[in-house]
Amino acid sequence: MWAGVGVGAAFYVMFGIVPAVANFVVSFTNYSGFPGTPTSFVGFTNYNILFSTQAPGFISSIVATLIFVVGVTVVQNAVGLALAHRLQGEGKTASALRVLAFFPIVLGVTVVGITWLLLFDPVSSPAQVVFGAFGIHSAFFGANTWAMTLVIIVQVWQNLGFTMAVYIGGLKTIPASIYEAAALDGVSAWQRLRSITWPMMAPMVSVNVLFAVVGSLTTYNLIYVLTDGAFGTNTLGMFAFNTAFGQSADLGLGAAVTTALFVVAVAVAIPLVAMLRSRERRLLA
Amino acid sequence: MKFSNPLRVRRLASGLLIALIFLVPIVYVIMISLESPSQFAAHPMQPPLPPHIGNFGSAWRQGDLGPEIINTIIYAVGGAGISTGLSLLIAFPIARRLIRWSSPLFQWFVIGLALPIPYIPLFIEARDLGLYNNRIGYILLHVEPGLPLGVILLSAFVSSIPRELDEAAWLDGASYPRYIVSFVAPLAWPSIVITFLYSLLFVWNDIIGPVVFLASPSLFPVARGVYSFYSSNESAYTLLAAAVMIVSAPVAILFAASQKQLLRATMGIR
Repeated sequence: MWAGVGVGAAFYVMFGIVPAVANFVVSFTNYSGFPGTPTSFVGFTNYNILFSTQAPGFISSIVATLIFVVGVTVVQNAVGLALAHRLQGEGKTASALRVLAFFPIVLGVTVVGITWLLLFDPVSSPAQVVFGAFGIHSAFFGANTWAMTLVIIVQVWQNLGFTMAVYIGGLKTIPASIYEAAALDGVSAWQRLRSITWPMMAPMVSVNVLFAVVGSLTTYNLIYVLTDGAFGTNTLGMFAFNTAFGQSADLGLGAAVTTALFVVAVAVAIPLVAMLRSRERRLLA
Repeated sequence: MKFSNPLRVRRLASGLLIALIFLVPIVYVIMISLESPSQFAAHPMQPPLPPHIGNFGSAWRQGDLGPEIINTIIYAVGGAGISTGLSLLIAFPIARRLIRWSSPLFQWFVIGLALPIPYIPLFIEARDLGLYNNRIGYILLHVEPGLPLGVILLSAFVSSIPRELDEAAWLDGASYPRYIVSFVAPLAWPSIVITFLYSLLFVWNDIIGPVVFLASPSLFPVARGVYSFYSSNESAYTLLAAAVMIVSAPVAILFAASQKQLLRATMGIR
């Protein structure tokens, strides 16, 4: 028994905890990705660079992160709930559409990313035809005006099926008798959503909000494929990756950005979990 | 069907809208994958009749898709398999509180779910430990990210297995490994499958990992291989569409076989 736990914990320590701590150490060095470059401790230099004008990317990447996380979380949950409501039934159509909505998760980021790049190609694509008919011509993923909106849409499109499935699970736990009683009282659809469905699904709301926030905060697979962080989509994770593994190969500075991302992730996740838990207790008491 | 009923019309319209949102991108890729480059240049939005299947052969050869698909399967099955096995070995003692510090250990994994993957130190670690740019290393590096979710899912399931079963088996003299393999694993099978599928999806979806941990194109999984193919053929739309179709086929088959379980588990139905 101990052997099993030991091997598992060893993996977790070696590839989870050690790198997390080592990241902090690397952020105080000038570690370079170019072989043969000597490494030395440089104190707070990397952090000073981040907050100075030498690296103008940092502040704008915090703004991009904020827009991306809030945008993805709000849209994914709103649309996910609407989808769950429409597709919760036992019928064949509903069940087929559920499978269809879940499919993009399985397709993977590269396939989903290239599909949407083809769909919104600035030279020849359906988007170019449709928007061109309205006199709108844009480089879409290659333009500041559109890139962030589109990246949020694709991220939501890929993960919507998961959010929907969790919400359907929640809808099924609400007894029909409550809705029947509400119908007798002449409650409007909006009130029904606000005072029955939404509060009674508190645990599923927690799961979905947490996954959307944490997922959009810490992963940037899709952004890498779609824009590689250009045109205002350089979230913290993307920025850290490009600093470390891009042309500058500055692992020290990249690690400092990752530390910032760690701090943001912890500063957001812990209060969020506490808030969602107390919300569940209050609503389901 | 009665179209006079407004509720019915609304449901039909909303169902159609949902179908369009998810189908249009997929159908577009299928359509242009069957268009010849000259048809695409002249009138891309017309259905490709007769279909031009030459794109698939060209994409397969030029994109080196065969070896990439094999690499992906090795990485995904290896990484997710080890990860799921270890998750069970951690989750069982935690759920049964057989070891000290069960709940802090569990919380550790919950925290792990929320943290970003620190690729920079992992890259240095991979290089120093000889895990950089080789298959075994790449698999080992993809075990840890699956552990948090695996431990959380599986310990929830183990808690629902009656404790009396443990005691009966131990009275019969079953050893711990034997007990896990022949009693717990079959009972927990549905959640083991889900854990496996979700960590499989993580490996399959990872594009940052292959950029950081791999250098030789012959070791690339599909995620990176197709992305490189895209970067060097950005305007060969029909070829790209065919490549996307080919690499989606294996996962589409896997999904067709597992969608019921995957969706039911995500919806929380056992």
